[in-house]
Amino acid sequence: MSAPSAGLSAQNAPAAIPDSEAGLLRRDGVLLRLANDKLALVAAILLALIALAALFAPWIAPFDPYFTDLSKSMAPPDAVNWFGTDNTGRDIFSRVLFGARNTLMMGLAGVLIGGLLGGTLGILAAFYRKIDPWIMRLVDIMLAFPAILIGLAVAAIVGPGMESVIIALVVSTVPDVARVARGSAIGVMGQEFMEAGRAVGVSNRALIWRYLTLNCISTISVFLTLRFGQVILVGSALGFLGMGAQPPEAELGMMAAQGRDFLFIAPHIATMPSLAILLIVLAANLLGDAVRDVLDPRLQQ
Amino acid sequence: MGPVIVRRLLVSMPALIGVLFLCFCLLQVVPSDPARIIAGPDAKAEEVAAVRAELGLDRPVLTQFADYIGRVARGDLGRSIISNKPVSEELTETIVPTVELMLGAMLIAVPIGLLLGTLAAVRRGTAVDRIIMAISVAGVSMPVFFIGLLLIQYVGFKWDMLPFTGRTGPVWDGGLPSLILPALTLGSVLIGPIARITRTAVLEVLGADFVRTARAKGLRESVVIVHHALRNALIPVVTLIGLQAAFLLGGAVVTETMFSWPGVGRLAVGAIISSDFPTAQGAIMILAVAFLAINLLVDVLYVYLDPRVQRA
Repeated sequence: MSAPSAGLSAQNAPAAIPDSEAGLLRRDGVLLRLANDKLALVAAILLALIALAALFAPWIAPFDPYFTDLSKSMAPPDAVNWFGTDNTGRDIFSRVLFGARNTLMMGLAGVLIGGLLGGTLGILAAFYRKIDPWIMRLVDIMLAFPAILIGLAVAAIVGPGMESVIIALVVSTVPDVARVARGSAIGVMGQEFMEAGRAVGVSNRALIWRYLTLNCISTISVFLTLRFGQVILVGSALGFLGMGAQPPEAELGMMAAQGRDFLFIAPHIATMPSLAILLIVLAANLLGDAVRDVLDPRLQQ
Repeated sequence: MGPVIVRRLLVSMPALIGVLFLCFCLLQVVPSDPARIIAGPDAKAEEVAAVRAELGLDRPVLTQFADYIGRVARGDLGRSIISNKPVSEELTETIVPTVELMLGAMLIAVPIGLLLGTLAAVRRGTAVDRIIMAISVAGVSMPVFFIGLLLIQYVGFKWDMLPFTGRTGPVWDGGLPSLILPALTLGSVLIGPIARITRTAVLEVLGADFVRTARAKGLRESVVIVHHALRNALIPVVTLIGLQAAFLLGGAVVTETMFSWPGVGRLAVGAIISSDFPTAQGAIMILAVAFLAINLLVDVLYVYLDPRVQRA
């Protein structure tokens, strides 16, 4: 994957290589170049560690995240309870692990499902120009609802819960992805190989999948990477508002909201989950910026 | 400028109808039957049916939607199930605090963001630039409620400097202290993105020919930066503020809830949690319409700042 020679040759002789092929070669060097960017490397490692810790939460968590022990309620962080305990004496470190699990899952679901739906809409709009105006009108209407409002509306309809938040995150991701995918696909549609494919009788289905989609996928995934942090922020804000996971389930935003009631006696209850969100989003944003700079050097300054 | 505004208004009509339709659906698909809620839990089937007929809930959906638009146009949004006050009344009471909060946030964020961004661009590549950019990345990654929690805990509680719950009154009537912390919380969301885009825009403009000419004329550097560079850099900044309106609105909902600020966002959250659908629907509609209006305003402002847009 990260053959250094391939990356170098693409840089040394870009003119000799056709556009799409140069793109492929450039992608070969992506991991290597990302690894050279120290900040991006730290961010990637941090994000990977958090994701692993969240994934293996049931095995890593030192305590049962739901076990209440009123005798040590609101204990500040110490050697046993690393992040302290909450008002019912539950171990906050364990709850942050389980909470991060839900928060990350929400964000991933939002970005992946939203990316899939939005990408499909955008690519279809670019390919079938007849339905383009209709799709884009739908997208414009969806854009008229800010993410938090969608969250409130969905929660009002189906009731607060993780599903509501995920629906809101998907719905708010779709229009932006659709726009990006459409823009990128329209660019690809103008390429000669599209016309050549049509001329030799490649089916629409194959044109869309093998020609169009494969060429748009890197742009869409860069956009989704950049978007991930924002999606997590919106998801946890909805959790904070009580529209997401319901107690006793742990979710970082909701945990911060629970800690708000004890802010003046035991600030760590709210601070620890908030810090966890900050760390996740910061790492995701730094990584997203680095990925964009590497994959799209035009944006580099 | 006139035609642009008219065209822009026409373009936002489908979105407006979409917003209204979604709000209307919100009243249709709610799991609990509004007629049953109003009739009360002990009501007999006939009584529920009577209430349903009275509310017009037994007619075709499109007729109901047309009715709904007519009622919204007349400002009739139904009554709150909880307080039994007209929803329109609840909304007019909460709109002023929300607008106050959002304007306050902008008044804090825009100057600070512009200042930091310009400073970073002028001192490009130095430690100042790097520190400002680090602050803005951290700011973009910060949950709104975390900033709010920190401000409440330290500035509000420990140092006892400013009030942090509720609104003591309109800002022109002694309400300023209670506005500061919420506005600061909400504004902090915007500082990072504004600083970032200002830096990029100023850097771009600083490389332009007219800036070189201005310098060659022997103008003072401060004049070059403020009058030539910053003014032209404002165009992308205004666009960005329009794009950030979504975050501003979303942030306002969170901020209002945290600071018990009596705005539309807090009204919406409270209404959803207590299943007060007419109020929730009205509040969500107002917020969505406000968002459309902000975007419209930004587009018009854009034409004003950059007359070239009109011809495009």
